Amino acid sequence: MKKTLLYASSLVALVSLSACGGSGSNGTSDDQTLTAWAWNINIPVLEEAAAQFAEDHPDFDLEIIEVGTPDVYQRITTGLQANGEGLPDIMLVEDDRVQGYLSNFKDAFLDISEYDFEEAHNDKFPAFKTELLTVDGGVYGFPFDAGPAGIFYRTDLFEEAGINADEIETWDDFIEAGHTLRDELDVALTGIDISNDDGVYRMMLNQQGTFYFDENEEVALASDESIKAMEVIQRLHQEGLNENLVGWDAWLTGLANGTVATAPTGAWLTGSLTEQAPDLEGQWGVFPLPAMEAGGNRASNLGGSNYMISAQTANPDLAYDFMEYFSTSDDVQLTAMENGLFPSLNTIYDNDLFTSPISYFGDQAIWELFASMMDDIPSVNYTGNYSIARDETETAQSDAANGADVTDVMTRAEQQLQNRMN
Amino acid sequence: MNRSKATPYVFLAPAVILFLLFTAYPIVASIVLSFQKFEGGSYVFTGFDNYIRLIHDSIFQTALVNTFIIFILQVPFMLLLSMILANVLNSQLLRLKGFFRVSFFLPAVTSLVAYSLLFSVLLQDNGLINELITNFGMSAIPWLTDGTWAKISIVLAMTWRWTGYNMIIYLAALQNIPHEMYEAAKMDGAGKIRQFFSITIPSLKPVILFTGILSTIGTLQLFDEPFNLTGGGPANSTMTLGLYIYENGFEYFDFNYASAVAYVVVMLVAVLSIIQFKVTGDK
Repeated sequence: MKKTLLYASSLVALVSLSACGGSGSNGTSDDQTLTAWAWNINIPVLEEAAAQFAEDHPDFDLEIIEVGTPDVYQRITTGLQANGEGLPDIMLVEDDRVQGYLSNFKDAFLDISEYDFEEAHNDKFPAFKTELLTVDGGVYGFPFDAGPAGIFYRTDLFEEAGINADEIETWDDFIEAGHTLRDELDVALTGIDISNDDGVYRMMLNQQGTFYFDENEEVALASDESIKAMEVIQRLHQEGLNENLVGWDAWLTGLANGTVATAPTGAWLTGSLTEQAPDLEGQWGVFPLPAMEAGGNRASNLGGSNYMISAQTANPDLAYDFMEYFSTSDDVQLTAMENGLFPSLNTIYDNDLFTSPISYFGDQAIWELFASMMDDIPSVNYTGNYSIARDETETAQSDAANGADVTDVMTRAEQQLQNRMN
Repeated sequence: MNRSKATPYVFLAPAVILFLLFTAYPIVASIVLSFQKFEGGSYVFTGFDNYIRLIHDSIFQTALVNTFIIFILQVPFMLLLSMILANVLNSQLLRLKGFFRVSFFLPAVTSLVAYSLLFSVLLQDNGLINELITNFGMSAIPWLTDGTWAKISIVLAMTWRWTGYNMIIYLAALQNIPHEMYEAAKMDGAGKIRQFFSITIPSLKPVILFTGILSTIGTLQLFDEPFNLTGGGPANSTMTLGLYIYENGFEYFDFNYASAVAYVVVMLVAVLSIIQFKVTGDK
């Protein structure tokens, strides 16, 4: 009898053990603890913000769990499928992923228009950020960093090859500079990962005020703007100016070891560049993205991120208060900037830190340059089909780079995307 | 009486409960998912729609073809290599056996991501391998940036990782073949090669079947190498079924379609395993 009891109780213990494997860490409502998911350089910023916020909220505690990209999206997607089970209170989501989540799982995120966030703060952020986070009158996230785009370039190599960066006004000029670099120093101009990353093409779409989709969510891969942009990529690669560096690590290595002389990308590269290539201090500079034709728009955005609150949070008021503080406090956003992220909060752009020269970039005031572009960045309609569209354009980019006719390639990509969106 | 009957079940319980929760339930749930569609925040049944969509899906066809090309190139090549290595390491003459065994087996226990990153560094257009061969006057090979070479790179990476693992299994089986059989064959005048085909291979038949089926399942579910090395590119030339399941689920939020693709993979594994049983003649 005793033994039977023993067996039975051990069974019960086992069952209960295996059954409590998946419950989320949502605190109870009298508990002042929040959990957050974020990655690398965002973590010190969150820690600093939590410390400042705790000065006025003595019991406040923020538990930060480091989850990198793209893992974080697998985990968020899984949590959303399970009705928000296991999600943290606060999560960091990049611009291009936001609309996918909002079109599929809008109700899983806290609508902060109930707290009148947009009335109090929308004027402090660029329109392309606030429009991204607004769906049918609801607001589902707090704008954080942005990726105003420019061309990071090796000033020493440009000088050696006799190129004046100030004279590069169009993509044609840029390609011409690439030929000079190739002829004089045998260095590649760009390090685009042709089959896995269409970032440069996306920047060109954005600067022309278009994207994969037009404002009515119609596929626009075969638009004139899109074809023009893809032709630039084709020329870069076909004319031997691009080093096909596969993956993030290879790209950063190429920038650090002088294989590649420029990086057309978002401002957030600053943090990684200064960290990974400290010995190149004073040899990098930034100039604005070239225009499609002389006098055209040179402002564009690549990347950037936002904080979203789970609708399942046990502490919506506290989560809102903390995030409101985080996203609108000058101090917090200046901390973010010191970590190499470009804040989208415009109230800090006249701070001394922005206008100060940065020694890594040969005393150029790069933050001021990036800030000056923010008002001219067109809004982008990412839509919920962003990932599928990107898959198609990356395939198209491979074909175009290998010499296929761009108009044919983009027309086919457009048709395939329409089929896949059924 | 009752107590003693219950005992084995109590000991089995933890494994059975875990199996039911984390294996059996997801298997059933994904069958259900594959017949549904996510519409307006809830799942609705759509019959065979996902499977019909599969038939017309050119990327799925590409993934299927790629998976089979990699399977046909990689599995026989690797198993043959494992068999040769196992025989060499089983030889009486070889010194430092332990060292070689460990060296060949090590790749199988390295972290997948670490090894993919390593291969990524080696195989870049301006990577170490191309540095080497251009120094010898050959032209650089676009290991990861050309469709055909990317497939070859993945086959090479997988072979590097799994050859030693299969070799260890063969080695264990070789050591179970009684030595007297070889001696008897020698007396009858059979040479080394004759011994290999008449004794070694027949004795290893069940083990060859076992490694064959394991490798088949592994290759059909191939995910890590294309995900980390090529991302399925260039232009879907290394898209595999495993990667396509992942992309549909976690990138396009289409878990229903992903489940349908997954069930096609299950069917393929079942069919291929049955064929292998039949070919090797095990009843």
